[in-house]
Amino acid sequence: MRRQFEKDIRSLDAIFGFLRKFADEEGIDGQSSYVLNLAVEEFFTNIVKYGRGTGNEICLEAFRDGRTVTVRLEEETPVPFDVTRPTKTQFDVPFEDRKPGGLGIHIAREMLDGLSYDYVDGTSRITLIKNLER
Amino acid sequence: MFSITVNDRGIVVLTGRLDAAQTDRAREVFSALEASAIVDFKDLDYISSAGLGVLLATQQRLKKEGKAIKLVNMNRMVRDVFRIARFDLIFEIE
Repeated sequence: MRRQFEKDIRSLDAIFGFLRKFADEEGIDGQSSYVLNLAVEEFFTNIVKYGRGTGNEICLEAFRDGRTVTVRLEEETPVPFDVTRPTKTQFDVPFEDRKPGGLGIHIAREMLDGLSYDYVDGTSRITLIKNLER
Repeated sequence: MFSITVNDRGIVVLTGRLDAAQTDRAREVFSALEASAIVDFKDLDYISSAGLGVLLATQQRLKKEGKAIKLVNMNRMVRDVFRIARFDLIFEIE
């Protein structure tokens, strides 16, 4: 499945709808589906907030190969911008000063089985991998 | 779909999916809390880091006054998100 979404936080409902349809068609279990929803949301919102792309859309592609699910987020951008790089989390900061920045990428990274970034011909591509139990 | 209500016993009840597009509604209710409170996650299916940010800001504000929110009835995946974020060290979770 492949579909374009406007680069706007209000696209999240439609993105979750896309992932729900994919999960239904491919028989993805609830826990794996949660992880994919969370990872896509965290990277999508990061691109919306910090991305340097020139276009107004992000392309989402999802497919299953055996027990492995792959979801890709693609954005046209003049400069590579790797949002999958490990981010600073504030685990050592005292509670009262702690901010949630970087947390989403950390959680997604921990819950996924694979994560990669590449930049080819003006397109940034984030690839998320989740292995299924069955 | 997401909803947040305060019931007649003062318990904050979360329902549905708390994602980045829903934080304004959550922030509105949590910012009005002036006393310690229980937050019931029984019908919350999903939370992302955006929702954690709202809860963190609430806990930080209340703790300054010696108060706190306590989180109850989380499903397994939501609890996992809290554990990975190490928020289980910040909140009392039951």
